[in-house]
Amino acid sequence: MYLDRLLNQGSVPVLEQLATFTEARQSVLGEDVANISTPGYVQKDMSVDQFQQELAQRVQQADSAAPGSVRFDDISTDIQNPVNGILFHDGNNRSMEQLMSDQAKNALMHNLAIELLRSQYSQLETAIKEGK
Amino acid sequence: MFDILDMGASALTAQRIRMDTIAGNIANINTLRDANGKPNPYRRRFVVFAPGQAENDPRPGVHVKSVQLDQSPLPKRYDPGNPDADKDGYVKYPNVDLSIEFVNALEASRAYEANVTMMDTAKSMFNSSLRLLA
Amino acid sequence: MIESAANSLSKIAGINPAGAGAPSNGAAPTTSFADVLKNSINEVSKLQQDATQAANAVATGQTENVTGVMSAVEKADLAFKTLLAIRSKLMDAYEEIKQISI
Repeated sequence: MYLDRLLNQGSVPVLEQLATFTEARQSVLGEDVANISTPGYVQKDMSVDQFQQELAQRVQQADSAAPGSVRFDDISTDIQNPVNGILFHDGNNRSMEQLMSDQAKNALMHNLAIELLRSQYSQLETAIKEGK
Repeated sequence: MFDILDMGASALTAQRIRMDTIAGNIANINTLRDANGKPNPYRRRFVVFAPGQAENDPRPGVHVKSVQLDQSPLPKRYDPGNPDADKDGYVKYPNVDLSIEFVNALEASRAYEANVTMMDTAKSMFNSSLRLLA
Repeated sequence: MIESAANSLSKIAGINPAGAGAPSNGAAPTTSFADVLKNSINEVSKLQQDATQAANAVATGQTENVTGVMSAVEKADLAFKTLLAIRSKLMDAYEEIKQISI
C-alpha cells in the first residue's frame, strides 16, 4: 500500500487520467468521422469540460488529504450527443470542421499529458537510483 | 486495443466503394444497352451506408449495406433517327446527372481524407504513449 | 578538505564563509554550509510543488499557458538534479575522508 501511495502523488495520477480520457475520446471521434455519410447517425462526443471539472475537484480533495491517499481512477466519463452543427437531410448532424479540430486538440492534449508524465516518472527514477 | 484503426479502415473501404459506384455512373452516362445488347438504358446506382464494421459485426465503424438502383424517371430526348427510339421518336437516357456525381465524388474524397487523418492522429498518439517507457 | 570545499561553495553562494577572514563589519551574520543546504532543499521542494500545481492546472483546463508549465517542470527537474549532484559529491568526499588512516 505504501508503494502505491508513493506512485499516486503529485501530478502523476491527474496526468494518467487525462491521457486515458483523451485516448477514449479519440475512439469516439474516430467513430463519428467514420460515420460521416451514414444517414440517421447521431454524432457522439465526450465532454471535456465535465471531465476537467471532476478532475479539479479531485485535485482539491488530494491537496487537503494525506499524500497519495485520494484515488483518481473512478472519474466517470460517459458519451454524450452534442447538439452543435446543423441537421442534414439524411438525419446526420455532422460537422466535419468541428470533428477535425476536436481530434487535433485531443491529440495535442494527449501528447502533452504523456510528455509531462514521462518527466515525472524519470524524476522518480533518478531519485531512486540516487543519480547513478 | 487498436479498434480505432479497424474503424478507420472500414470507413476507408466504404468510401472507396462509394467512389467506385460514382465512377461507374459517370462512365455509363450514355449507355443505352445492357450487357446482352438489349435496349436497356443504364440506371444510376447509389450506395447505402450503415453503422457497424460489417453486416453482423456491431463494432463501431461503417459499411455498405447495399448498392441500389435509383428509381427516378429516365430523361427522354427527341431523336427519331436513333435505332433505339420508340414510336414517338424519343430515346430514354440514363438518369445520371454529372454535377450531382461530381459533388458526391468530392464529398467521398473529403471523407476519405478525413478518415486517413484520424488514423494518422491515432497512430501518433499510440507512438507517444509507447515513448513513455523509453 | 571538506571545509575548503564548503568554503568555495559558500563563495559561489555569495556569503562570507564562517571563520575564514574577517568580514567588513563585525555585525554581518555568517551562515554555515548546513543552512545553505537546508535552504536549497526547501527551494527544491517549493519548485517541485510549483511544477505539480502548474501541471495540475493545465490538466484541469484552468490555464492555457503550456510554456509556463513546461519551464516550471524543467526548472524543478534541474534543481533536483543539482541537489542530487551536490549530495553525491558530499558522500564521495565523506567516503574519502573515512579512508584516511590516522
